[in-house]
Amino acid sequence: MVYGWAGKTLQVDLSTGKISTTPWDKDAKRFLGGRGGNSWLFWKHSKTNQDPYDPDAPVIFGAGALSGTGLIGASRMEVTVVSAAKTESHSLGNVGMGSAWAPELKFAGYDHIVIKGKSDKPVYLNIYNNEVEIRDASSVWGKGTFATEELLLDEVDDPDAQIASIGPAGENLAIQATVEHGYRSGTPVGSSLGAKKLKAVVVRGTGAINVHDPEKIFELNRRLVKSVQDTKKRQGVASIERAEGKDAYLQGFLVGDAGVIGNYESHDWRNRPDVKQQYEENYLGEYFVKNVGCFGCPFPCQPLYSLPDAGANIWRCYPTYWPWKLWMSDLSAAFKTHRMCSDLGMDSKEIATTVSWLMHLYDEGIISKKEMDGIAFEKASTEALYETTRKIAEREGFGDILADGPTALGNKLGPKAMEYLYLNQGLTMRTFEFRAEPGTALGEAIASRGNSLRATTYHVVLWDKPAKDEYEGPDPQETADSYAWSKKKFGTEKAIAATAYEGKPIALIYEMNGAAIADSLGYCTSMIRPERVGAPGSQFGDVSYEFAADRFTAAMGIPMTEKKLFEYGERVCNIERAIIVRDGRTRVTDSLPDFFFKVPVPDGDQAGLILDRAKFEKMKDEYYSLRGWDPASGYQKESTLKKYGMNDVGKQLKKMKKLGPMKEGKQ
Amino acid sequence: MKVLNVDIEKCTGCRTCETACSLKNTDRVQPSRSRVKVINYEKRGEFHNYIPMVCQQCSTALCMEACPTNAISRDTVLGAMLVDDQACVGCRICNMACPVGGISIDPVSNVAFKCELCEGDPECVKYCDSEALSYVSLDRLDSSMKRNKSQNISELFRLMQFLK
Repeated sequence: MVYGWAGKTLQVDLSTGKISTTPWDKDAKRFLGGRGGNSWLFWKHSKTNQDPYDPDAPVIFGAGALSGTGLIGASRMEVTVVSAAKTESHSLGNVGMGSAWAPELKFAGYDHIVIKGKSDKPVYLNIYNNEVEIRDASSVWGKGTFATEELLLDEVDDPDAQIASIGPAGENLAIQATVEHGYRSGTPVGSSLGAKKLKAVVVRGTGAINVHDPEKIFELNRRLVKSVQDTKKRQGVASIERAEGKDAYLQGFLVGDAGVIGNYESHDWRNRPDVKQQYEENYLGEYFVKNVGCFGCPFPCQPLYSLPDAGANIWRCYPTYWPWKLWMSDLSAAFKTHRMCSDLGMDSKEIATTVSWLMHLYDEGIISKKEMDGIAFEKASTEALYETTRKIAEREGFGDILADGPTALGNKLGPKAMEYLYLNQGLTMRTFEFRAEPGTALGEAIASRGNSLRATTYHVVLWDKPAKDEYEGPDPQETADSYAWSKKKFGTEKAIAATAYEGKPIALIYEMNGAAIADSLGYCTSMIRPERVGAPGSQFGDVSYEFAADRFTAAMGIPMTEKKLFEYGERVCNIERAIIVRDGRTRVTDSLPDFFFKVPVPDGDQAGLILDRAKFEKMKDEYYSLRGWDPASGYQKESTLKKYGMNDVGKQLKKMKKLGPMKEGKQ
Repeated sequence: MKVLNVDIEKCTGCRTCETACSLKNTDRVQPSRSRVKVINYEKRGEFHNYIPMVCQQCSTALCMEACPTNAISRDTVLGAMLVDDQACVGCRICNMACPVGGISIDPVSNVAFKCELCEGDPECVKYCDSEALSYVSLDRLDSSMKRNKSQNISELFRLMQFLK
């Protein structure tokens, strides 16, 4: 009997209409599911350097291995595609989402879906247990994701079905387009569905998931609930603020520690009375409705706000940085744009980075209203924000060019404009002050997709905060304990010190593997975290990997330990590395723009900090060595792949001459 | 006597109760066989409301009255309405008679299934952190519900005194 997994994957060819299933057993034992399973299926089904809109390019949906097993906090799904923003050093586009789609897929009987081919007409995939149908989507093509969801639920006549869909942005092949489910989308993967004319995947499942030890699952769930309640009691005020929906605000503070004002123009958010005061005065507290959450998790953490003239949306960490990213004081405008993004199906983070770049260009006099369809990109302009969002999704005016990525517009505006556009592997940078945080910089450079939210975790949960005096955490003892933990775990207290270079590669590998474990299990990253006590998010009680391993054993019946979990994490990171190396990534392109090595942080608590090229490259050496990769090329070694049971992957890379040298030291 | 009380204002729609219920009663995770079912009233971008529906073990149990094969009886200790799987023929008349949708036909066993209060230790309430589901004494429940409802009036009183 299969425990935990549904036991099969679904293959759909939109060109031929062929639908089939294959077992998901051996591969499941190797890559679990979710992000790991998707990456493996992507490796198998994609071609080297495949065009994102190649009809044969796979779009892969996956449920985390523990989704639907009744374990609290395991409900996440994953979507993997050839990234629409593809460059030679960036090809893997993936995103994880919570809510209820993944468990529903498991109850329908599938762990993953591989979609290939291309439809001539708009379609959606309708899954009801073993009845799988490609259906006409002409009634919803062109509609926002909100309306799409409502209309499709009506059409399949089942209000309990779960829907992942694209909006107009995805249909119009904007690289910023997302797949939306609930309000949980992030990194863009939507235009890959648009290219296939696939509007949505609707899932309804009434089947069962077998679990190995129901009694143990109950016991571990009860233990988790108790540990969360105990932590809440201990943390007092912080958890009360959370309960009142102040979470978004707190998150803003946390991200604000590494936050950037404008296009890396200032780092002094905390001390800018204009931004900070306006932000606090305009906090949208009165519009807080309640927290909503994911399937099978009684600790909802997504604050739902409803503005009378806009409607409802989740208001969480990312858009809350807009006020300082875009010099804005009008939080309601930020909220409305974020809601527009949910509906149009696009990534609000990409919008923010792009608009802040354009505001910078306008401020420097490099662009004027003339080039920008009559819109003045003055700092804090809400018109600029609204219009950029709308125009990209609808491919109108300058938005038509921006929809192909900021580089396309930069090339048109000229070299001066490109000078201010900071790109990593051809992607826009996330809003983090890499110059102040070498570990975050290393992660951004080396991750399979640097600019995704996924690469945020080490910033948020691992490093101490540079501005500690403002956010002490609920318990000072925890801060002391966390340094002791760092010393024990990584051999130095500095490993979690945000501004230090020391110990960063080992700490980063630990966190990257940990995130890969969580994403492959479908486990919420708030509920499985470095044991670093006092890390934000520790209100979720027992978040240890050891606890996660026990829960895995209870559900799957496969004995698991923390150590073994980390082997899985290592394997998932290695399959992702194999994909990006196959498609062109090298050590040289594991890098960041020169800007971060040449221009120091202009102001604030970290004024004068700058990335040191020699130290940065040394961190890379150490990182590759610890990973068992070749420091000279950044390629994996055959022995490393063998160690993680990936000989088949090694063989293919060998044929392409994309493996590190056999012998140590020989370069 | 204790009852499984539902406070709809507190439900977050997470359906942890459904996974717990199905796992407890069927040894597998299968929300479609859960005795408690969270009904969603959602319109993304507008509102998200949830109402858990579960047998209320009515004092006048219409399911029992309606059952043509006398398959439904009351547990005198817990007050729970119990289904006799052997006697039930799956005719759905109980389902038609029930005012709260608390009893339906199990898709696997094809006989009526409903919340039987887990022998006095309901599994679902143990994970409901928001306390939308609670297992409470009937005599206490009445005053606590009155207390909750009185809060608005109390606030009104306070304002009236302030106005004086």
